Amino acid sequence: MKERIASVQAEALERIAGIADMKALEDARVGILGKKGSLTQVQQGMRDVPKEEKPAVGALLNEARAAITAALDNRRNELQKQLDAAAVAGVDFTMPGAALPTGGLHPISIVRDEAVRILRRMGFTLSDGPEIEDEWHCFDALNTPDDHPARNEKDTFYFDSGKLLRTQTSTVQARTMEKQAPPVRIICPGSAFRRDAIDATHLSAFNQIEGLYVDKNVSVGDLKGTLEYMLKALFGSDTAVRFRPHFFPFTEPSFEIDVLLQAAGQAPRWIEIAGCGMVNPAVFEAIDRETGKQLYSGCTGFAFGIGLERLAMIRWGIRDIRLLIENDVRFLAQFQ
Amino acid sequence: MNVSLNWLSSYIDLEGLGTQEMADMLTFAGIEVEGIQERGVTTDLVVVAQVMEKTPVEGSDHLNVCMVDAGEGALRQIVCGAQNYKVGDKVPCALPGAVLPGGWEIKDGKLRGVESRGMLCSASELGLPDKEHGLWILPQEYAVGTPVRSFVPTDTIFELEITPNRPDLLSHWGMARELAGITGRTLKQDPAEQPTAAIQTRPAGDYITLSAPEICPFYTATRISGVKIGPSPAWLADRLVSIGLRPINNVVDITNYCLFELGHPLHAFDAARLTGGLNIRRAAEGENFTSLMNEQYSLTPEDIVISDASGAALALGGVMGGLDSGVTEATTDIVLESAWFLRSNIRFTSRRLALGSDSSYRFERGTSPWNVLRAAARAVELILECAGGTAEPVLVGGQAPCLVPEENATNATVLEQGTEGKIYYALDQVQLDWKELDVMTNASVPHLEAARILRQLGLREIDGKGTWDCPPWRLDLKRSCDLLEEVVRVYGIDNIPATNTSIYVEESAYDRASDYRMALSRKLAGAGFWEAQTFKLIAAESIDPTIASVEHALPIKPLMEGDIIRVSLPISEDHSTLRPSLAPGLISVAARNMNQGLEVLRFFECGRVFRNTGGGKGKDIENEVLGIFMAGKLNPASWADTKPGEAHFEHLRAVLDILVPKAEISLVPAKMARETAAVGADIQINNQACGYMARIALSTCRTLGLPMESYYAELDLRKLQQVATAPFKAADLPQFPGSGRDASLDVPAGTRNADIVKAIQAAKQKLLVSYQLKDVFCDPSGEKLAADRKAMTYTFLYRDAKKTLTAPEVDAAHKQVLDTLAARVKELKFR
Repeated sequence: MKERIASVQAEALERIAGIADMKALEDARVGILGKKGSLTQVQQGMRDVPKEEKPAVGALLNEARAAITAALDNRRNELQKQLDAAAVAGVDFTMPGAALPTGGLHPISIVRDEAVRILRRMGFTLSDGPEIEDEWHCFDALNTPDDHPARNEKDTFYFDSGKLLRTQTSTVQARTMEKQAPPVRIICPGSAFRRDAIDATHLSAFNQIEGLYVDKNVSVGDLKGTLEYMLKALFGSDTAVRFRPHFFPFTEPSFEIDVLLQAAGQAPRWIEIAGCGMVNPAVFEAIDRETGKQLYSGCTGFAFGIGLERLAMIRWGIRDIRLLIENDVRFLAQFQ
Repeated sequence: MNVSLNWLSSYIDLEGLGTQEMADMLTFAGIEVEGIQERGVTTDLVVVAQVMEKTPVEGSDHLNVCMVDAGEGALRQIVCGAQNYKVGDKVPCALPGAVLPGGWEIKDGKLRGVESRGMLCSASELGLPDKEHGLWILPQEYAVGTPVRSFVPTDTIFELEITPNRPDLLSHWGMARELAGITGRTLKQDPAEQPTAAIQTRPAGDYITLSAPEICPFYTATRISGVKIGPSPAWLADRLVSIGLRPINNVVDITNYCLFELGHPLHAFDAARLTGGLNIRRAAEGENFTSLMNEQYSLTPEDIVISDASGAALALGGVMGGLDSGVTEATTDIVLESAWFLRSNIRFTSRRLALGSDSSYRFERGTSPWNVLRAAARAVELILECAGGTAEPVLVGGQAPCLVPEENATNATVLEQGTEGKIYYALDQVQLDWKELDVMTNASVPHLEAARILRQLGLREIDGKGTWDCPPWRLDLKRSCDLLEEVVRVYGIDNIPATNTSIYVEESAYDRASDYRMALSRKLAGAGFWEAQTFKLIAAESIDPTIASVEHALPIKPLMEGDIIRVSLPISEDHSTLRPSLAPGLISVAARNMNQGLEVLRFFECGRVFRNTGGGKGKDIENEVLGIFMAGKLNPASWADTKPGEAHFEHLRAVLDILVPKAEISLVPAKMARETAAVGADIQINNQACGYMARIALSTCRTLGLPMESYYAELDLRKLQQVATAPFKAADLPQFPGSGRDASLDVPAGTRNADIVKAIQAAKQKLLVSYQLKDVFCDPSGEKLAADRKAMTYTFLYRDAKKTLTAPEVDAAHKQVLDTLAARVKELKFR
């Protein structure tokens, strides 16, 4: 009996050592330890072992089983290791990836969203108005006299109905103040239209972001503080900003705002980025006359407008404004 | 407007200011500096040189090698390409080391292998207007070696953009006055003051008839007899040349000079060409006028003409003189016009006829009546000085328009000009509210300082109660805010501390719309779509077939004739129509990119579309929509996927599901084919019409060069937002397992998914929590399934929220669903 145990164990260990795959290993386990396995058959011989020898033979059997099980486990681990190693043997991590469809936002959306987020952080809320406007909201309410050049078929798109495509988003100033009592603190990103031929720096339809703050006691200091904050948030905290006196019919005093652009390898230069000013009292008077309410007398306020195409062009050094309407993916893909 | 620094310096002390300081000063006065040109040279290294020898350079058809005497003792060898000089001529010579305008440094060098030690110069190379083509031939009296700068003064020309509210800056005197007002620098003698004080005036009587006083209320004419027409003196011609004008003759030059000196336009008639007195009248409808440039114009009563007793239109008032009435070499007597015209009429005429001049530019921006006699007096003075002759008194017709409202006129300060037939001009008065200044500047500008600024700009406080007289040249000062602007402008916004107040503002519906739009855009970008922003003005349907195809696909409400909105006067037919859909733009974006070799064509745009609700007679409506275009490959080819699949209907349909994943989306095919080759359907979200989806007509695709299936969907952004952002409560996870059952339905090939779905819903089986179409099988060969049949396999999930269902319970529920299907779907069999 002891010899049989020893020989089965030796045979089993030899067999296990020579096994090369998992299937053979499993077969071996069944062939040795299974119901009809070689060790199991030897074990059945225990019946015939004299009683006094049973403890010793039993111990031998247990040892044999433990040794075989350990060998099986070892062999399994070794085989698994080999399999795992083989599974990654051919993998080349330097291969390019499979191609997924890519997409992205348009640069105008990116700058518009950025400006909107900054201004909302400063307590401005969005407003809106129609792009097909009437002359009152586009010109009369904004202190633009009848004989102003902008009110001309050559400069503005009119419709047969007498309406027009708004020439600036400032129309939303009038639209909002008509509907709402002060304080007003709004912004409006949107399209405006001018009858310009399209070239590298002009579009006949373009995007602006308009801002308006009206309340009691709004000051030039507020205008300055707000726009400096916004431009620093847009262009970086060390951006130099300057206000140049200018003229717009709907604000007085009026300013154009320049930022100091520091492109690598170029002398810094001032770039015009926005127009702004204190709301002309004539605008408040026009609104009050129209609504028949005296909501805006005694108010002061400031307004500003920024061209979004210009903002994008400055930000990314875009040379030709037409790239922004052509939607060529080779261009769009740069803004992912 | 070009402003010469030398000219300007004759009116204001600008000592010690560099060009850049000057430019900054103008910039912060609100005057845009568009360009700066340096004229002449500041170096001693450009000298007079005499050409002593000139021999052609071998092998060149235009180069000569010259030996020149530049006063250095020895001759200097210089290679020169100009053709207009001969041996013995004196010309400017730039010696090595000289820096010419534009930063061009002269060095010793070789041309065609011939040594050249310097450069012979043209006038333009020295930053001066070119007088002839080629080298600048200098008068012989200049000694060789003399630095050119000793007889050619340097100048700086500023190209300035004047805002339309400040016509008073459109002259050198006006600009000098402004700079003095801003900086406090000394203003020199007003060039018009002395001549205006000395001039004689008379009422014009019959000589001037003001037939249209509402547009020309004030006209003066001065006869000067015995003038000698000839070239202007050098100082005058030089000044005109320096700002880019061409000298013509002394009298015409003086009218131009006065315009650029004082800002008021003048016109000189040849008195011999006039018959009797002058009549300033509206033109007759269709009246002809020939300008001094010999161009013909047809006039309207909005135009103003100067005519005489003959009735002929001698000049187009305020815009341009006529062909036959101007000053010529033969003129001996002149009549000098100085007048005031209503700006809107001048603008109308000038724009309608596309005829502009330095005069119309000033009149249409507004001129001061106060300047009328000043300009006349100054011109008379200069004409007598430069052309001789005898001046008669200025004949005054009408009166300077009083620019203050009548109720203030009694207190107004009235300026008087002239001797007989005096001209009166009432100053504008403005009440300044100091409180407004304090509000505007947070009380950071001391009142004393503000008052000093206003006085420096020529205003005068007249009563100690804040009433200010405005100077007669400032037409833009009318209200308190105009004065505040002046204070802030001159005090400098830099000196006003920035503040940053913010108030609580409630989030608006527009805020939420913007947030939704960005979230949606990012979602689509993540799903592999490019956001496009296409032009809102699109081509007319007649020239762009994409619009026609869209029209046919628009199912919610088909477009009627006139629903599409066109601008009255498009720049081109390419941009004439307000887009009724984003489809034309997105389709052409796809075509453009396909031509660039892009294989995955996925684009979207969020934006407005426009249409009229009633064939052009209804309301114009503007809707925010989302347009999605899809065609081409599903993903770009790569080694890992060498043959990617093509985008079909179901791929765009899947995109709709990710936009509003919790909503029930159904596509309702259009009842009538809207175009033979296009398939279209209304999109309903939670049973509400929300947009449409279409397969673009194959014929259109071919025309556009998109040879693949192309799909387009357009959805109303507001409705989408409502569904996608509706408030909801998170549901608990199911406590008990569900059980699945499949059913394979054998149906006629024409049965639609919607028919099955309708039947399943009709079963109203409470235990059915979801179902899904798993497979569709057709066999055109008819072997496994009849060719006119198809097999649709659905999987059903049953679950009870309160317990685990037993198999018989699930079977019973499933049977109820299948029975309903069998009852409601025609010719249905179970496989």
